Amino acid sequence: MKYKNNPLTPHLQIYRWQISSLLSITHRIVGVINFIAISLICFWALSLLLGQANYEITKKFLQSFLGKFIIISLCWTFSFHVLNEIRHLCWDLGYGFGIKTSKVTGVIAIIGSFVITVAIYLLGRNLI
Amino acid sequence: MNSSTKKWLFIKYSSVILIPSMLWFLVNLVSIYDSNYLEIVNFFATQPSKTLFSIFIVFAFIFSSLTISEIFEDYIHDEKIKNAANKFVYIFAIIMPLITIIGIFNLTL
Repeated sequence: MKYKNNPLTPHLQIYRWQISSLLSITHRIVGVINFIAISLICFWALSLLLGQANYEITKKFLQSFLGKFIIISLCWTFSFHVLNEIRHLCWDLGYGFGIKTSKVTGVIAIIGSFVITVAIYLLGRNLI
Repeated sequence: MNSSTKKWLFIKYSSVILIPSMLWFLVNLVSIYDSNYLEIVNFFATQPSKTLFSIFIVFAFIFSSLTISEIFEDYIHDEKIKNAANKFVYIFAIIMPLITIIGIFNLTL
């Protein structure tokens, strides 16, 4: 069924900011960032086809402070998206709709995303 | 089944597959991103990482394109621009993983 005059989502300035709206809009922004990130990861994988000599520039960039910062930031955006998506899946199964529960799971998603980012970094660098 | 229901189910099924594959990829990304050329080629060219990475990007693009089209639905007023934006994202989400998978399956050590 198609509605030609669907009401559009109210603009962000109409909302009174609270944890549910903060997480909702962050989830969407992070989703777009992750889409761009996955595309860049594909270009990174494809750049390997150009050979070792051509990879040196990419390697130097990834070894720089900015490169490390981007990788760690991506760990956070992906971690946040995973945790918030688990929250959405719980809602789809009919759990966690209460206002208090929703706030608690929201806080868990925020704090947990930083914890998972640190854990992924330590695991990836073989530090734990 | 309603097309919106199908879309919603695709989003949910792809997210369930994406959660473990994304965590797997992140740990590996952190371990190899600053490595030398041969180590990175070794990661993408050998099994099981070659297959797991392919699965990861296929589901990542399915999930991302479907959820981004929901954002277009909510925020783009003009029907023509919305349809064009949706088509662009869907075509990109098919071509990009396809080229990448062909590329990494042609990577040799």
